[in-house]
Amino acid sequence: MTAISPEAVLPRPRAARNPFSPLATLAARRFQLSTRTPRELIVPLLTPIMFALVIAPALKQALHTSATYEAFVATGTVGLLIPLNTMFAGLGVIVDRESGAQRELLAAPIPRAFLVLGNLAVAFAITALQVAVLIAVAIARGIHFHATGTGIVWFVAAASLFTIGMYGAAETLASRVPKAEEYIARVPAIAIVPWFLAGSLFPISALPGFLSWFAKFLPLTHGLALVRYGLLGDSTGLHNIWRLHDATAMASLSLLVVAVFAAVLTMVSIRVFRHSAVH
Amino acid sequence: MQPRSRLAPRINRPQIAVRQLRKTYPGGVEAVKGIDFEVGSGEVFGLLGPNGAGKSTTVGMLTTTIVPSGGRAFVAGYDVATEPLSARRVSSVVFQDAVVDRTLTGRRNLDVHARLWAVDPETARGRIAELANTLGLDELLDRPVSTYSGGERRRLEIARALVSEPQVLFLDEPTVGLDPRIRHELLDVIGRLRDRNEITILLTTHYLDEAERLCDRIAIIHSGQIVALDAPAALLAGLGHELVELRVDGDASTALASLRARGIAGDDAFTIGSTLTVPLHDRAAAHAMAEIHQSELAPSSISTRQPTLDDVYLQLTGARLAEAA
Repeated sequence: MTAISPEAVLPRPRAARNPFSPLATLAARRFQLSTRTPRELIVPLLTPIMFALVIAPALKQALHTSATYEAFVATGTVGLLIPLNTMFAGLGVIVDRESGAQRELLAAPIPRAFLVLGNLAVAFAITALQVAVLIAVAIARGIHFHATGTGIVWFVAAASLFTIGMYGAAETLASRVPKAEEYIARVPAIAIVPWFLAGSLFPISALPGFLSWFAKFLPLTHGLALVRYGLLGDSTGLHNIWRLHDATAMASLSLLVVAVFAAVLTMVSIRVFRHSAVH
Repeated sequence: MQPRSRLAPRINRPQIAVRQLRKTYPGGVEAVKGIDFEVGSGEVFGLLGPNGAGKSTTVGMLTTTIVPSGGRAFVAGYDVATEPLSARRVSSVVFQDAVVDRTLTGRRNLDVHARLWAVDPETARGRIAELANTLGLDELLDRPVSTYSGGERRRLEIARALVSEPQVLFLDEPTVGLDPRIRHELLDVIGRLRDRNEITILLTTHYLDEAERLCDRIAIIHSGQIVALDAPAALLAGLGHELVELRVDGDASTALASLRARGIAGDDAFTIGSTLTVPLHDRAAAHAMAEIHQSELAPSSISTRQPTLDDVYLQLTGARLAEAA
């Protein structure tokens, strides 16, 4: 076997580039594609806003609960918005593969992990915008939050890491599922069912024994407990998970869980994408 | 930037080198079975074969979108297995299917390619304008690609591949599915690229006329193996200066054996169904036909014609390329 040395030909000089500029290009491309598909932006927002603005006040009135419950549900809907939005973002991966430019991107001189990370950056930005809209609308509706500066940091960290992890799940599913129809059929199991078990509408302590124990293993349970700790100053959710007295310690532990979730799912999504995209 | 002619002179150094390259897909399907070839700088090299022959798999391995099961491949000297980023940096590919962002404009599709291939933005703007002019895309560039016709989209994809001025261009069935007029236009475009001598092109096709018209050399690939590799003229010369084609009512193989026994047909004569094809090397066509008429064979029809690449393929594989495709 004869090896051809690189000296055998004359590679053309190329401009040196910022290693992150391809990532920025991919993110800008994905953002343009997303903004041309309004369903990706609007549909995920509808259900959480309805929960926050219509269902929560209705439940409050029907069950004769306090205004605190409205805030409880409003923050709980963040746990629905993030999975729904990231799962919808995952559809773009299938469109890219089926009728888009994915193969062109695979032939580009960039690390293939960038394709996943570029999509993640846009899913993250759009989700952040939608969460901000949800909270703004809730405040406009008269729902009260009790957030301190530190609380906002906890909230942002938890929501960010949970978004990253959920996008990893979406990208992984999109890489493994051949058709958009099959993908959509699996969205409820991933984005909606855990939401009912994770303390979104009621504390996990109200669940039957086994489900209450199971809920503690859901990253969403930790994420929601952190969101409420951050935005409402309420550590009940954290206490239901950890049974400790130090709220900061419990918040740190839950944040660690969500961080591990984000790291593992991102790594898995990159690995699965590379494996499925390159035969 | 220096002129390309100085950086990539037409020299006979391999821009693509393939050594015992193999691909076996899960399930045991052997798509490529240990092929070898080299493509020189500035050469247009054709991989000719029917669908399923292994052409696109070969391009996939050279563009690092398919992982080889064995062997080695080099693009511009870069090993596609160990230096995939470098191999991709110096090459571009036009895929068999449409691979574009349809909701984006043509210009944006070109721009994304330029940015990913690290083309300086000002240079990219100039090249995009030049390519749009050359390929007749001026009026289309700012429209979403979803509004393009098949031919327009193909031209856009060729323009996109050229924005980064690749040393090696892979064209995977570039004209498949296009109507004859657009196909003809695209062949002109590829022909102009060929005439510029600045770019090495690996073209896959199952159209014989395309291969004959565009390629300096052709590898005929069949069931994952290269069965012939040479210049089109040399491949045709192997079948002599003329062919006698005759149809017989009985067993064609028996008839062929009879012609061979009489010294009319050589070892390179072949049969497909009830048709015998006899290459003529030294013998005149009229003389051969007279000998056939004098034999006990009673052909239902007999004619002479020039050899084509179809005959080369037919002789090598025993199946008409067009039928196989």
